[in-house]
Amino acid sequence: MARVNNWQLGREMSYWYPEARPQKQFAAVFDTNKCIACQTCTLACKTTWTSGKGQEYMLWNNVETKPYGSYPLAYDLKLLEMLNGQQWNGNKYEGQTIFESAPAGERVLGWRPEQQDYAYPNVGEDDCAGQVDHGQFLSLPHMNWFFYLARICNHCTYPACLASCPRGSIYKRPEDGIVLVDQGRCRGYQECVRGCPYKKVFFNPMTGTSEKCIACFPKIEQGIQPQCFVNCIGKIRLAGWISKPGQVRADNPIDYLVHIRKVALPLFPQFGLEPNVYYIPPIHAPVSFNKQLFGPGAGEAVKTYRNAMNDPDLAGLLCLFGSTEMVVSRFSRQGDSVTGFDERGSAVVRVPLREPVHVRPAVDTKNQLVRINCP
Amino acid sequence: MKYAVFILAIISAACSRPQKTVNEVVAVSAAKLPMDPADRAWDNAPAHIARMIPQDLVEPRLMTPSTQQVTIRSITNGAEIAFRLEWEDPDSNDLPGPAKMVDACAVQIPEKIEKDLPEPQMGQEGKRVQVTYWRADWQAAVNGRGDTIRDIYPNASIDHYPFESKPLEPGSGEQKEMAMLYAPARALGNIRGGPRTVPVEDLVATGPGTLTPGPPLGANGRGVHGKTGWSVVISRRLPEGLAPNQRSHAAFAIWQGAKQEAGARKMRTGWIPLVRRGS
Ligand code: SF4
Ligand code: SF4
Repeated sequence: MARVNNWQLGREMSYWYPEARPQKQFAAVFDTNKCIACQTCTLACKTTWTSGKGQEYMLWNNVETKPYGSYPLAYDLKLLEMLNGQQWNGNKYEGQTIFESAPAGERVLGWRPEQQDYAYPNVGEDDCAGQVDHGQFLSLPHMNWFFYLARICNHCTYPACLASCPRGSIYKRPEDGIVLVDQGRCRGYQECVRGCPYKKVFFNPMTGTSEKCIACFPKIEQGIQPQCFVNCIGKIRLAGWISKPGQVRADNPIDYLVHIRKVALPLFPQFGLEPNVYYIPPIHAPVSFNKQLFGPGAGEAVKTYRNAMNDPDLAGLLCLFGSTEMVVSRFSRQGDSVTGFDERGSAVVRVPLREPVHVRPAVDTKNQLVRINCP
Repeated sequence: MKYAVFILAIISAACSRPQKTVNEVVAVSAAKLPMDPADRAWDNAPAHIARMIPQDLVEPRLMTPSTQQVTIRSITNGAEIAFRLEWEDPDSNDLPGPAKMVDACAVQIPEKIEKDLPEPQMGQEGKRVQVTYWRADWQAAVNGRGDTIRDIYPNASIDHYPFESKPLEPGSGEQKEMAMLYAPARALGNIRGGPRTVPVEDLVATGPGTLTPGPPLGANGRGVHGKTGWSVVISRRLPEGLAPNQRSHAAFAIWQGAKQEAGARKMRTGWIPLVRRGS
């Protein structure tokens, strides 16, 4: 095993291969507070990529209701139980990653879901964290809670799927960091399915190979965001590029949210993969739960997010989510509007920080009519 | 009554007849290769019982030994060589799926007959090995299992496949081409699942993790699962230079699907001398 730097853990860690960061790293920020679990993203992916034979059960994108939802069943709980002690000391992880706690004879600490574990893709949907007792509805906000967690492959910096494959059939593209299974080389051993803690590789029984999210690379290559991003009803998603540690740029939307404002955090950083989908934690979930999912910065992230209305740069950037089909590589706020630029530096979108509000009186005297609210 | 006792005695003597075993794999000559594992012609070939060891050199290793031994017989017709492998495995696992591995076996032979043998574990750089690999789900496909999801999950219900919908004509070139878009491994010629004409594959390797399709050696095979385990015949072209009374080597591997064995998680033998007997 090699020693590599994992900035999300605040320390070096052991990994199967030496550190080899791509020239550019595909990354994304998902705002959990805006997701409505409409599953449009799930369907956008399904209809685009996994309508084939043997892919029926696959959801490269899924949205689960936390705390109880999971797909495949208990994918997170199972590994959290296997992974002993996950202590943080400030921003430094003092527990073990799945690479460091690999049992004898294994490349990573992992497990393989059974067929039944994929049978209920939306188990726990809208299940609340606790009983809503009689009368509780009168004392909002949020005695009990749930939130929606949209998930795709994290195109990890240190992918466990890649480390698990004894044949080197999985590769991370040097040009954009997208992690792919070579369909010509895979022999269907399902080691990657076992190794990925997020369970984002799926075995196809009809082709006999394992398949996974490809970050819509044909679109990304043209500077366009993936299908699950551009179809997102809640406009919770922003795709882009995260800079290497030490090369952070304040005008890079992902860098700004992740590295500078630290409002977007990785999912289960303690697993050690340096995942590249970052989440703005839910503001109403208990901080202890948020910390288990998103690491020690979750409390501060919620505070920063709650204050976004007094924070024009952050608010402006949040307005860019779902505002354009193009990948925004750079942003800039001027007064009350924010502009997004593509990689060539061309402005691709400009949005106001606040949409103008028009109040229409109930009685329109000019036209002599009474307006009613239509659902 | 006397007769009955006598007949029983003959039957039990036949059943318990001690197996003639040899300490190397001896390929005996026959005009025709018996591809049926139950063919009586196999009785003419001496049995070699090989002890198996877990693959425990490279990760992921097999930490719990499973298949203890494999009984090997071999027959050659002078152009091809066949091996019959028999091992105990009460469960037949021939349905692939998530976390569902299939039973399999393989024969490995050095590409060249050399004094210095390649590493027994998949060969090494500069010393390539040829591997003939048989798999239970491929056998099921050859035996007639269909190529639909219902052949694997009989109760599956599917609303719609875009490549099987109008206006595409079923079986038309256009329809087949579109279906390939949804089966990338097949489109690349990596036929791990689906229709097959033979249940085996010709492969080569130069070390762990390097297994790849090799030059065709006419591999064929047939496996039958009985009460106690598998009996599988694997045939291929005679190894280069294996003249009568010449020696090469062979190694064998077994995977039990029920024990989640696949790829590197397998039971294997070391090199075993392989002798071609006869004139
Ligand atoms: S999320 Fe899983 S499948 Fe995706 S790169 Fe990371 S380890 Fe691999
Ligand atoms: S489309 Fe957007 S809002 Fe709808 S479930 Fe997916 S991530 Fe959530």
